[in-house]
Amino acid sequence: MIRALGAFGLGVARLTGALALVLARTTLNLPRLDRRELFRSIVLFGYRSLPLALMAATLIGSTVVLQAGVYAVKFGARLYTGWAAGYALTREFGPLLLGLVMAARIGARNAAELALLNVNGQIEGLRGISLDPFRILVAPRVVGSAIAITCLGSVTFLVAVCFEAVSSYFSLGLPLRVFFDSYQDMLRVGDLVGGLTKTLAFGLAIALVSTVAGLRAKGGAVGVGQAAASAVVLSCAAIFSLDLLLTPFLTRLFG
Amino acid sequence: MSALLRIFGAPAILFARTLSAIRQRGVDRRATMVQLVEIGSKSSLLIVSGLAFFGAVMVTIAWAQTRKYTGNITVVGPAYFELMLREFAPLLVALLAASRVGASTSAEIAAMSVNEQIEALELCAADPIAELVTPRFVASLIALPALMVIGTIAAAVSARVVVTTAFGADGSAFTDARFVDATDVLCAFVKGALCGAFIPLAAAARGLKAKGGAPAVGEAVTAAVVDASMGCLLIDFVVAAAFLLIGV
Amino acid sequence: MRFGRVDALVDVTVSISPGEQVLVTGQAASGKTTWLKCLAGLQPPTSGHVRWGPDDVARLDLEERRRRQRSFGMVFQSDALFDSMSVLDNVMLPLTKRQVPRDEAVERARAVLDRVGLSAAHGKRPEELSGGMKKRVGVARAIVAQPSILLADDPFAGLDPSTERSIAELLLEVSRGRTLVTALPDPVASLPLARVLRFEQGRLGSVP
Repeated sequence: MIRALGAFGLGVARLTGALALVLARTTLNLPRLDRRELFRSIVLFGYRSLPLALMAATLIGSTVVLQAGVYAVKFGARLYTGWAAGYALTREFGPLLLGLVMAARIGARNAAELALLNVNGQIEGLRGISLDPFRILVAPRVVGSAIAITCLGSVTFLVAVCFEAVSSYFSLGLPLRVFFDSYQDMLRVGDLVGGLTKTLAFGLAIALVSTVAGLRAKGGAVGVGQAAASAVVLSCAAIFSLDLLLTPFLTRLFG
Repeated sequence: MSALLRIFGAPAILFARTLSAIRQRGVDRRATMVQLVEIGSKSSLLIVSGLAFFGAVMVTIAWAQTRKYTGNITVVGPAYFELMLREFAPLLVALLAASRVGASTSAEIAAMSVNEQIEALELCAADPIAELVTPRFVASLIALPALMVIGTIAAAVSARVVVTTAFGADGSAFTDARFVDATDVLCAFVKGALCGAFIPLAAAARGLKAKGGAPAVGEAVTAAVVDASMGCLLIDFVVAAAFLLIGV
Repeated sequence: MRFGRVDALVDVTVSISPGEQVLVTGQAASGKTTWLKCLAGLQPPTSGHVRWGPDDVARLDLEERRRRQRSFGMVFQSDALFDSMSVLDNVMLPLTKRQVPRDEAVERARAVLDRVGLSAAHGKRPEELSGGMKKRVGVARAIVAQPSILLADDPFAGLDPSTERSIAELLLEVSRGRTLVTALPDPVASLPLARVLRFEQGRLGSVP
């Protein structure tokens, strides 16, 4: 038991160390990022994930209305559906659910790619010809996927809110104007900023965690699979933990 | 439409093959137990802490909002518990399991595929579906509803504790099952069972298809987790809508 | 590595009689592996037919195909051994899955391991073995259930010349009285088989 705890503690410490290292070296490399690689990762992680994010957005929007709407009707607050659904979406469900889906899509892919380079010895190879793999490979990916996830987040919010309006029209018979009125009256810019802050944090966490998971990979096909799998799981854990840490802070800041 | 087919097509075919493998070869009890322990031991920490954190987040938000509009946070307690049990916990537990179970299942099976081990099993007169898919399918079908119960409890208890200790109000309303009826529980379990069945099938389908070395394994894991999470979101929405339509 | 949607094999008609010893040569990605796996019924050909005797494999139902598949043993290019099991358990697998009683299975597996020269490695895990020894375990697993047809996919990949010779001797020895189909990039002197086929870009080329 004590040994298991010790191993767990050691694992956490090692992971934190690796995360800090990647974060520090990425920050150091910010002024001289490899532009082409940055562009490539934004396209790869952002643009290519757009269909998935849109699909997730429609589903998340409709689900939140179903959930919030039923209770709004139950408590005679049908008119507030727009606000409730919008608030829940921007402040909590949008970032959280999008984060979980992107942990799968972007986290696993990033980890798998880096793991592959690592297992094939290509990262060592870059060092061998005295190129810094962090500047060329790692930092652009971290920055690129964080940017990509934040952009996807904004698009997702927009689409999800529209789908909320439409689905509350169909399921609750709520006119679109009423939905957006209550949305406008009660939702403030702060809510949107709060939601996007969360999305940015989750995006950064996914990028860092999956990079560390990929760089730690060892040993062929099995190693690549394990790296991708642990990237997804650790990203999910990081998202829930960050959500807990950020929410009290954001509620105080933006109400 | 094509997206639906992509997510549900291969798992549906694998489902049929798994059912026929179960009919012909039965279920290997020991292998299923091993998978149950695997899923339980590896997912429960993630799911319990994830849902506990989520419960705390939800009451923090509810606290800030009720102070602005209605005043007393404890009125939303029983509704919170029902909503958590019926909607939030099933969805989040399913998504977390999709990551945990989906990723490890697809990674394992994809690595076996590219190492020709699946074909080796076939030539050893073993049925790869019965050996690899059936135990994971049955174990996840059993484990997911159980994990959902644990997750719901974690979220409710953490909400109660946060309200009591951090906000100084009476938190007992957040574990109050006054609004919960049989259909809520049924709705939750239907979601749990469907997602529990879907996740290993989606992951195994991607894993079995992997061909051509380490890159294929990475692609299989990515695709599997995406399929599993999107499938669970869809299943969740459809079940919620169905229960709403029949008016319960 | 990606092949895209290129047909691995086009217009290949080959028939192999019982007891024949065939060598299939061709460059990497010339379709040898796919062909071997089609022969054993592990992959369906995208078009065309694989016949076992008079019967088209695609028309057999799953149970019947599984039953007849038992006349095949295959040595895989990547060995395809299970690292979670001991060497003995790996070799026993084809027997236990055929419901052979455990005592008999242990005895037969030990005998085969002795025959391939691995008497000392029973309890080891495959990952602890050298490439040549793994190949021997692969051969042992392929022949332990007495199949009438033995397939070997690039059995010398990654082996040094002396190990290559010893594995070639082993293959010749265990294939006596069996049909043997071996795939190799090029013919080698240590494995003189009666019939040599050559695949060039997925077609049957001329035999030099």
